[in-house]
Amino acid sequence: MPPPRILPQNRRTIKSDLPLAISLSLVVIFFVASGVVSFRNARFLMDDVLRVAHTHEVITALDSVGALMKDAESGQRGYVITGDVRYLEPYTRAQSGIADHITKAETLVQDNSEQLSQFPPLRAHVAAKFSEMEETISLRRTIGYEAARDLVGTDRGKIEMDALRARITEMRDVERGLRRQRVASMQQAYRTTVTSGIVTAALGILLSLFVAILLRRAAGARREQEWLQAGKVGLAAAIVGEQHMDQLCENLLGFLVKYFDAHAAAVFTRAGEEFRRVATYGVPEGSTTPLRFGPGDGLLGEAVTRKELIMIHDVPDGYLTIGSGFGRGNPRHLIIAPAVTDSTANAVIEMGFIHPLDKLSLTLLVEVADQIGVAVKSAIYRENLQELLEETQRQSEELQAQSEELRVSNEELEEQSRAIKESQTRLELQQAELEQTNSQLEEQTQMLEAQRNDLVQAQVTVQAKADELERSSRYKSDFLANMSHELRTPLNSLLILSKLLSDNTDDNLTAEQVNYARTIQSSGNDLLVLINDILDLSKIEAGHMEIHPEPMPLSRLAGDLARVFDPLAKQKGLLLTTHLDGTCPEVMETDRQRLEQILRNLLSNALKFTEKGRVDLAVSKNVEGRMVFAVRDTGIGISEEHQRAVFEAFHQADGTISRRYGGTGLGLSISRELARLLGGAISLESTPGQGSTFTLVLPETFQGQSSPAAPKREIFAPLPQTPANVEPASAVERTRYVPDDREALVSGKRTILVVEDEEFFARALHDMVHELGFQCLVSTSAEDALLTARQYLPNAVLLDVGLPDNSGLTVLDRLKQDIRTRHIPIHVISAGDHSRTAYSLGAVGYLLKPVKREEILDALKQLDARLAEGMRHVLIVEDDEVQRGSLAKLLGSHDVETVAVGTASECLEKLKTTTFDCMVLDLTLPDASGYSLLETLSREHAYSFPPVIVYTGRDLSHEEEQKLRRYSKSIIIKGAKSPERLLDEVTLFLHQVVAELPPEQQKMLKKAHNRDAVLEGRHILIVEDDVRNIYSLTNILEPRGAKLQIARNGREALAALEKTKSDSGTKIDLVLMDVMMPEMDGMTATREIRKEAAWKKLPIIMLTAKAMKNDQERCLEAGANDYMAKPLDVEKLLSLIRVWMPR
Amino acid sequence: MPHRIEDLEIRLLLEAIYQKYHYDFRGYSMASIKRRLAHAKDKLACGTISHLQDKVLHDPAIMPEVLEMLTVQVSELFRDPLYFKVIREKVLPHLHTYPSLKVWIAGCSSGEELYSFAILFREEGLEEKTMFYATDINPDALKKAQAGVYGLDRIQLFTENHRKSGGKSSLSEYYTAAYGGAKFDKSLRKRVVFSDHSLVTDQVFAEVHLISCRNVLIYFDKELQNRALGLFKDALVRKGFLGLGSRENLRFSTHAEAFDEFARDEKIYQRRGVL
Repeated sequence: MPPPRILPQNRRTIKSDLPLAISLSLVVIFFVASGVVSFRNARFLMDDVLRVAHTHEVITALDSVGALMKDAESGQRGYVITGDVRYLEPYTRAQSGIADHITKAETLVQDNSEQLSQFPPLRAHVAAKFSEMEETISLRRTIGYEAARDLVGTDRGKIEMDALRARITEMRDVERGLRRQRVASMQQAYRTTVTSGIVTAALGILLSLFVAILLRRAAGARREQEWLQAGKVGLAAAIVGEQHMDQLCENLLGFLVKYFDAHAAAVFTRAGEEFRRVATYGVPEGSTTPLRFGPGDGLLGEAVTRKELIMIHDVPDGYLTIGSGFGRGNPRHLIIAPAVTDSTANAVIEMGFIHPLDKLSLTLLVEVADQIGVAVKSAIYRENLQELLEETQRQSEELQAQSEELRVSNEELEEQSRAIKESQTRLELQQAELEQTNSQLEEQTQMLEAQRNDLVQAQVTVQAKADELERSSRYKSDFLANMSHELRTPLNSLLILSKLLSDNTDDNLTAEQVNYARTIQSSGNDLLVLINDILDLSKIEAGHMEIHPEPMPLSRLAGDLARVFDPLAKQKGLLLTTHLDGTCPEVMETDRQRLEQILRNLLSNALKFTEKGRVDLAVSKNVEGRMVFAVRDTGIGISEEHQRAVFEAFHQADGTISRRYGGTGLGLSISRELARLLGGAISLESTPGQGSTFTLVLPETFQGQSSPAAPKREIFAPLPQTPANVEPASAVERTRYVPDDREALVSGKRTILVVEDEEFFARALHDMVHELGFQCLVSTSAEDALLTARQYLPNAVLLDVGLPDNSGLTVLDRLKQDIRTRHIPIHVISAGDHSRTAYSLGAVGYLLKPVKREEILDALKQLDARLAEGMRHVLIVEDDEVQRGSLAKLLGSHDVETVAVGTASECLEKLKTTTFDCMVLDLTLPDASGYSLLETLSREHAYSFPPVIVYTGRDLSHEEEQKLRRYSKSIIIKGAKSPERLLDEVTLFLHQVVAELPPEQQKMLKKAHNRDAVLEGRHILIVEDDVRNIYSLTNILEPRGAKLQIARNGREALAALEKTKSDSGTKIDLVLMDVMMPEMDGMTATREIRKEAAWKKLPIIMLTAKAMKNDQERCLEAGANDYMAKPLDVEKLLSLIRVWMPR
Repeated sequence: MPHRIEDLEIRLLLEAIYQKYHYDFRGYSMASIKRRLAHAKDKLACGTISHLQDKVLHDPAIMPEVLEMLTVQVSELFRDPLYFKVIREKVLPHLHTYPSLKVWIAGCSSGEELYSFAILFREEGLEEKTMFYATDINPDALKKAQAGVYGLDRIQLFTENHRKSGGKSSLSEYYTAAYGGAKFDKSLRKRVVFSDHSLVTDQVFAEVHLISCRNVLIYFDKELQNRALGLFKDALVRKGFLGLGSRENLRFSTHAEAFDEFARDEKIYQRRGVL
């Protein structure tokens, strides 16, 4: 780590402040110096003045000494002349004061030795003078004027006086000289002072100017500094954080362009050796700005190599282009700045300007280059790190994969070695065993040889016996054939002859003889029939009867039989009917001759044993797809104990019968055998005296022989997806019969939208709404209702379900799906019961037409009450008091009000008076079960039925869950984590927004509004186990008018289809079949359905999550008509359904 | 250049397998596929991958074997016992609040994970309301899973794992040992739908509460991983759970936003609610 440096801006500040500081201190020093000079000058002046004054004082003092002496002298003279004592007064005053004055003067000149030296002579003169004057005065007084005048006349006084004067004058001159000298020096000092003042002032002004300039310059520098600083801070803010390279460069560029006022810019960052363009600004599409360059490539590369900023002025045209909405232009100046960190350029910024860039900006650019470089570098690092992390993740996965594979090979190896070991031991064991068996085998071989010999012998014997048997069987057949032939030949002549006899052509026989002949003929006929029957039976038993299946129209068979037996029936006065059931195919495949033989037998029996009444032949197809031929008569019937015996050969119900009715008694035996040969059976139901029903059941297609290849199932290419009969929802023209308030709406007053197409009723509702003080809007169609609701956003809606263009439920749904209108409470009025759908779609109330006026008023009041409150209400129904409290606490919040009740009756009480947004229901209640409560709520309209969240403490069986799912979308089992989930679900419910549904479902919902003529009223069976898919399919198909049935697996689907057979009230037109389901998957179920003839043509569309071609082929192979891959595309699914829906 | 050529051969072979047999290995991780194919090449005595391709195209009977070798089918009961311990202790309390449950074992291989879950859910009293969907692309593996027979020598490890996962019963209650194998009780399969389903090509088939897809994504490349995770995202209910293998995570996936980390070390994620 480098040692911490002083941040450059600080260093810079100090540098720029230094001259300022120096100049400021100079100013201070200057003023101090000039003050000192002035002070000194003043002091000099002052001293001089004082000294001059002193001199003056000295002079004055000397003058006053002189004056006093003069006074004394004049006083002396006056006295001398006049002798008047009064004249002595100045003298005495001078005499007493002179010493002081002299002393004063002396003290004044204390510092001047020269002057001081003058004082003793001065004093001497004064003393001498005074002594002279004293003498004079005393002379005058004592002697008189003359003596005094004489004395004066001696000039002693005058000499003294003159000397004194001279001395004083001398002294004064000295002092004057001194004064002159001092005045001169004072003048000198004054001049000096003035000069220094002027100099100081001039210097001061100069200095001030200098400082001002410095200050100005410092302020400018500071501003620049601040700009630089702001630039750096702004840049730091733009590139701070862990930004992705692109983001970083975008931000960086955005900032730089704004801060430098550039017109075009681009950032290139290092990517290995190259530089890659990451972000641009103002560079138009298709500009020639390079996407990448290497070091040394062009100016950009040059900047990288030189690691310094390059500036170009007066860029030639076409060099770089700035693009804007108005066109393109060329920048005049260009800056290429590399961002260098640790002597490596990590990024290059190129900026184009229309104006030249000032130096400051350049400085900033140079200074931030480092910062940018670091940011880019760290972004590069981050990217590398991210890549490395991903690489690590990939490697870790790869390692895991390798270890998995190693495990596999390990296992394989282990298995192999185990197998080898095992086989080795097995081999050893086998060897030992082999050795042992070898010896045993030898023994056995011998034994076997012996046995084989025995066997061969036995075989020979058996063969001989078999041959013998075959022979004897052939003998028997031959005998029978011969016998019949032998019998028939004489019988034939007998019959012919008896016929001839009975015809009595020669008319020579008596009536009685003719009668005999007829009897012979008839007996002969009977005998022939008996012989034929015996032959047939023996043929069947010997296996010689051959079956020739052929397609046979059933109607013809019935017609032929009717034609044959009709005369006989008429003859006996019986009614013979044949009936072909609607379920019958037109053609069945069997041996026609044999079938006719059976039926003829049955019919002739029936006619034979029926004296009066009727004989019916009914042909139908049973549930197993087999043909049923029932011959019903109203004859003598057969008692139970004889019923089995009638099918035995040579047997009739009663020994006496043959006598009464004739016949061989072999017919039924033969019929039974023939039926068996045809792959069917005959059964008998009979009540003696009332009649019998013989039922022959045969396969529709003869099974004994290999059936011809099943007709190739056609694979229909999906028809072109015609829009079928669906007409696009044309915007219904808004026809209003009922005038409403839309032209005169007053804002702030509550508005109710009435959606009702019936004019009279709409008018009535309109009036009632007014009565309660609301404004009223009236729409008469669904489309208009939606428009109006969206435009005016009414406070509440009264909605009729039966509207001319679309169902009111669709309006409800669409209003609830629209974020703008979903909060509007909607009360539904309908002629049909859609209450559950309406409530589940979010209606607050439901009224069934015809409605009473009071009911509507109540509904309106309820809406009113609801409007008054913005709270969400949750009803909690829970028997345990503690839990009730805690649930209320859990769910309640500032906008959610909870009401908690403990019993079902309380709950009903609440729901009668109030509507709730959501209800949390415990299933165990003291007075009723949760189920019965829910059922009551769904059945009775006296109660509002909010969406229910079931919250229960016990586990639910599958059936219970299914039952609850009808009423509740969300079921929560109490447990450690249930409060968390409950809160989640309730919150979701109360704030349900469209966005909650996945976008595909939203799209589905949006599309699912038009009813579809092809689907209207058609029954579709949805076989699907996933709730979510059922929900979306229901949402697609139900609004289009299809009736849906749900089966959760293949087995339930089969059961549902089976039910359509027995219950004519149900039917299914089309099946949507999921593939992956529990219990029985879609493939198996489809195959099962196709096994049933009745469902061969039932359209089945398979919905598969598998997308491969062969998966879908498998669907078709299983018998589906078409398939569709999940996720479901609404349009495609609808057109598939339209294509396959039978018309 | 041999590597380049081999890479090309591998791509051609995978394309061929996709075109002819509709098994899409084209988005699998190349490194793994390379090793698997090298293995297959040796085992089927083919000199080159092209030779292998020739065989695969002209001898459909060989495809199951190749498929077996391309898909890694290895697991154990209660593999990574901690994973199951967390499922048992932290995830199941959430699942208890649903009246009925659907669990998707994606890439169930030969069924060890499925039986682990079936036993776990039975022990925790959830089995009766749960429907399991066990899917894999390999029909042979599905058959094995449906049979539920494992080598006796592995049972010791299974028992140990089961115990470590916090098992409340003895594992021996769930299998019958005979003829060197242990056959797991068929009542465990009563509520299981076995189905051939490919995370590469197929779509979501049901809304489920828990998906366990372990050590499958490691064989996929990034794009395919994203596709598979997208399917899981669409299939899960709000607040449903997704369990991945120990080396797999959602960090770099495009669907990372849709999940919350639920148990970091065990790689269990929870689908975010919409609110």
